[in-house]
Order: sequence, then structure tokens, then C-alpha cells
Amino acid sequence: MLASFFTNIRWQDILDILVVSYFLFRFYVLFRGTNVFRVIVGIGFLWIFQRIAGYMGLIVTSWAMQGIIAFAAIIIIIVFRNEIRNVLQAKNIGAILWGFSHKVAETPVQIITSSVYELAQRRIGALLVIPGKDDLEELIQSGIPWRGVLTKEMILSIFWPDNPVHDGAAIVQGDRVTEVGAILPLSRRSDLPSAYGTRHRAALGLAEKSDALIVLVSEETGHVVGVKGDHIKEIENNLALEELLRTDSGMSSDYKGLREKEKLSLALAAMAIFLFVAGTWFSFSRGQETLTTMEVPIEYMNRDPNMELIGSSLNSINLDLSGGGTLIKSIRPEQVKVRLDLSKAVVGLNEYTLTSENISLPPGIILRGVDPSVVDVTLDVPIIKELPLQVDWTGKLPPDLILANVILSPERIKVMGGRKILEKLSTMYTEKVALDTLKASGSITVKIALTPASLRVAENSKDRLTIDYTIRPKLALQ
Amino acid sequence: MIPKRIILIGFIIWVVLHMWQVAIAQENASSVVSINLHTLSLEKATMCEGIKEYAPVNQSVAFSLDIGKIFCFTSFDIVPSKTMIYHNWYRNDRLVTSKRLTLKMPQWSTFSSIQLREADKGPWRVEIRDKNKETIKTLRFSVTD
Repeated sequence: MLASFFTNIRWQDILDILVVSYFLFRFYVLFRGTNVFRVIVGIGFLWIFQRIAGYMGLIVTSWAMQGIIAFAAIIIIIVFRNEIRNVLQAKNIGAILWGFSHKVAETPVQIITSSVYELAQRRIGALLVIPGKDDLEELIQSGIPWRGVLTKEMILSIFWPDNPVHDGAAIVQGDRVTEVGAILPLSRRSDLPSAYGTRHRAALGLAEKSDALIVLVSEETGHVVGVKGDHIKEIENNLALEELLRTDSGMSSDYKGLREKEKLSLALAAMAIFLFVAGTWFSFSRGQETLTTMEVPIEYMNRDPNMELIGSSLNSINLDLSGGGTLIKSIRPEQVKVRLDLSKAVVGLNEYTLTSENISLPPGIILRGVDPSVVDVTLDVPIIKELPLQVDWTGKLPPDLILANVILSPERIKVMGGRKILEKLSTMYTEKVALDTLKASGSITVKIALTPASLRVAENSKDRLTIDYTIRPKLALQ
Repeated sequence: MIPKRIILIGFIIWVVLHMWQVAIAQENASSVVSINLHTLSLEKATMCEGIKEYAPVNQSVAFSLDIGKIFCFTSFDIVPSKTMIYHNWYRNDRLVTSKRLTLKMPQWSTFSSIQLREADKGPWRVEIRDKNKETIKTLRFSVTD
């Protein structure tokens, strides 16, 4: 099946997948991190569920989801119009089509370092916990879950004196502040300097019971202290803090690494989008392999002009076609042609077997069968034959009259057509002539009916004749 | 003076020659008669609505279905010997029926007929053929509403 899939795939299909994938990838690049993107991802999942529901035959569910999706699409445009406008207006066309914005500005280590020294400079007390491998859940109490993005402004806000949570500790994991206002266990050590307050004891208390690194800023002195295990160490400057954070907490301060990480995430996103689009395409155009039968007229080509096509066993044939449901539905009659080359045909009966060479199909459609596959074509040499003419009367005369006699002029006609046809013909008839309008003897001119249509009136013959008719009163039979 | 013997011989020669000429003439005359008498001669052929007193009535080339029955009347003024003819009825070039009719010396009239039905509407012809199936005459007509 996989081999069949790859042999039947068209270049249009590959282009189709790539164009849509790139379109979605650009959408991801432009809108990632925005609310619009999150909502659209949600709608995307809804759409997938709707497809699954449709596939499973859950009609009402599918219908409801369709409605929600349609409604949500309108809501997105209305609610997030400003966000969409900001994204699109802020970028030129090149940036929209192929530009990348690199969002990495500062690493968490740098943010913590700059925040801590800003707090120290302002003599604002702070307690930052950078967890190690130990679970701190049982050691920390009353923490308020937050999961805010780590920024300098946020850390300053958390420890701002008027903030209700400024006395507690902030837990930092990666680039997020996971909890604020956390109460740490106090150390019971008695050998601590008298200058150490509750904040120092809390830092030591947690450090003693876990492998977390705690950074604190003394409200009284503005000193920055790092605590890990039993060790408590005053940190002289920002470089030392950076070093401490990198070595003791394992946090990365490497720009390049983050850039690589971002590239990796973009590559993964591109891959995911490509797989999603390819999967969707497959489910649309290939997943539901559909069989259909089309009745297609046969086109006879390259006939010798000296011969006439007298008859054929078939005017049309049935083609069994397969392909993706969407492709099958999109076939237009003019895209499917059956052509028979009569250049080598001879006078008389010619038998042809139809093969795929005679049949042209749109890309992606596979010919499964031809029924019937044999066509008999009869060609003939045109001849001229002289035939008597006869009037084809219709209707009726008034009951007291009778059409006693007719004289035709001419009485015979020369007709040109296929020999085999003309051999069977012994009379040429006129078109139907109505008796109802005739009241008395007279004369009319009528056309000759050339049947079958391949017949033609030979040169020097006319396609009309004059009828001189005689009408007499009818005699009573009794 | 011409001798009487010569006159007599001349008279005899004249009589013989005269008789010979008469005999030749008679022979020629009798041969012409015999040719005519040996050829079937069609005097009249017509389509009609009925036969009355051995003659066709309402001869026509278009017959309404209402009349129910139509006839093909043929009259032969010379029938050299008892023979047969055929009335072949065709509708649209397709043979519908062939009627075999007997002719008797020296003159004979005969006819064939068909009953008309709804499906019989259209152009018809009757071919009158001799015993060798040679066409003597073709009559063309239509069956109409």
C-alpha cells in the first residue's frame, strides 16, 4: 500500500502539501505566543474531533462541531482583531512571508541576577528559591501558585514592600515563577550570626532539608546571600551570582544554547505541521480510496476521409476508476477521454481492444477496468444509389374524402452513403406530410428525410420533391 | 406467241411463291400471337378500401386506421397458364407478410388484404411478384391516423 501510495502521488500533491504546510508554519511563526494562536490551536483540535466524529458516523456531534468551528472563526476575527492587526501591521510583507523574530532577550540567570542586584540596590528584601532535584512540596507551605513568566519587572513587583506576598519566597523553575508568597521552614541552628533575620533562617531551613539553591537579599544590609546545603555565602557581585546559579542550580546562561533550542522548537513545529498537513491530505485525497464507474463516449479519430464510419458496437464504455474521494468527486467529464485511432482501419469490420493507451485520465486517477473492452467498428466506402421516393403521410382526411392518387416529381433520388447502409435501403421517404390540412387536389413541396443521418443527397439531386395529389369524394362501400 | 406450257409453268411458280409468302406471313403472325399469349400481363394494380363486384372501391394512397382493412387488387388480362403471384406487404422496408395468389387462364383478378392495427401506421408498399419472385409492380401507400 505504501509503495502504491508513493507511485501514485502527483507533483501537484507534493506542492499542495508544501504550500499549505508553509502557510501554517508562517502562521505559527507570526502568531506563536499570542492568544490568537492558542485559540486557533483549540479550533484545530475541534476540527480534528469533528473529522473523527464524521468518520465514525456521529452525525449530530459532527454537525455541532462544525457549527462551533464556524462560530469560533468569526469570534476570533472579532475578539482578537487588535492582536491580529498588531501582528500583521508590525511586519512588512517579507517578514510575514519568510522572516523570523528571535524572542530570546535574556536568560533566566541574567534576569535573576539583574533583578536581585536591583532589589539589593533598593534595599528590598527578597527570597528566591531555585529547586534542585528534591521535591519541595512537603517543605513549603502556603505558596500561591502562579506560573508567571520570569521577568525582572515581575520579580521586583513580587518583592515590592506593599505587595501582600513580598515576605514569602518566590520559587523559580526554568523561565517561570511557579509560586510566590511561599513559607519556608526555619533553621533551628544556634550558631548563626545575630545579623541574620528570619529571611536568613528560612533560607537555611530549606537548604538544610533539600538540595535547592536559595538566593536572598537582606532588607537591612542590601547584601546578597546564596544558601545551599549547610553553606551560607555572601555574594559579592553579579558575576559571582551568575556563576553560582550556573554551577549550583544547573540553569543555563548560554544565549547560543537558547537560540539553538528555539531553532529546534521551530524545526519541530515545522515537522509537526508538515506531518499534520500530509496526514490531513492523505485522509482527504488518499485515505478514503473511492471506486467509481463513469460512462465515457468513444471518440473515433484519424479516419480515412475516403471511408465512412458506418457503425460501431459501442458509442460509450464504462470506466472503473479509483482514487481519493476528493479527486474522484472533482473529475469533470471533459477530463476523461476515450480515443480510438482509426488510421489503420480497413473497409468492413474492425475489432479494437481498448487499453490504457486509449484512455486519458486526470492525474491521480487510476484506471481499474474497462467494460466492455472490445469495440467493433465498421467502416465503409461511400457509394451513390438511386432510390424511389415515397410520401410518408400522416393524419387523416375528412371522412368523405379520399386521397386517390399522387404524382411525385422527381420519382427517384440519388443518395450518397455507406455501401452497406445503402444496400439495405430500397426506399427514401419524405418527411411526414399532414393530410389534415388538405381539402382539395393540389400540389405541395416537401423535404426528403435522410435517415440514417450519414446519408447525403448526391450532387445533381435535390433534397425536396413536389407532390401533385388528387382528392376525390369517397364512395360508400355498402 | 408464248407457248401455253411456259404460261402454265409461270402460273404454277407464281402460285407456289404466293403460297410460300402467305405461309411465311402466317407463320410470322402465329409466332407473334404465341409470344403474347405466353406472357403474364398485368392490367391493373391498385390499393383500395374494398372490393365490390370484382372491382376495387375507393382506390387510394393513404388509408386511415378507421377503415380497418385494406386491399391490394390486381387484374391480369393475359394469363397464359395457371400460375401464381405474390403480394409482398412491406412496412418501412420490412416484410410484414407475403400472400401467394393463384391466377388462372385466360384472365384473372385477385386481391390480398391486411387488417389494420395501431402499430401499422407509417409508409407501406406492396410488391407484386411473379412465380419467379420477379417484381412486376410496386404500389406505395401510407397507413395514417
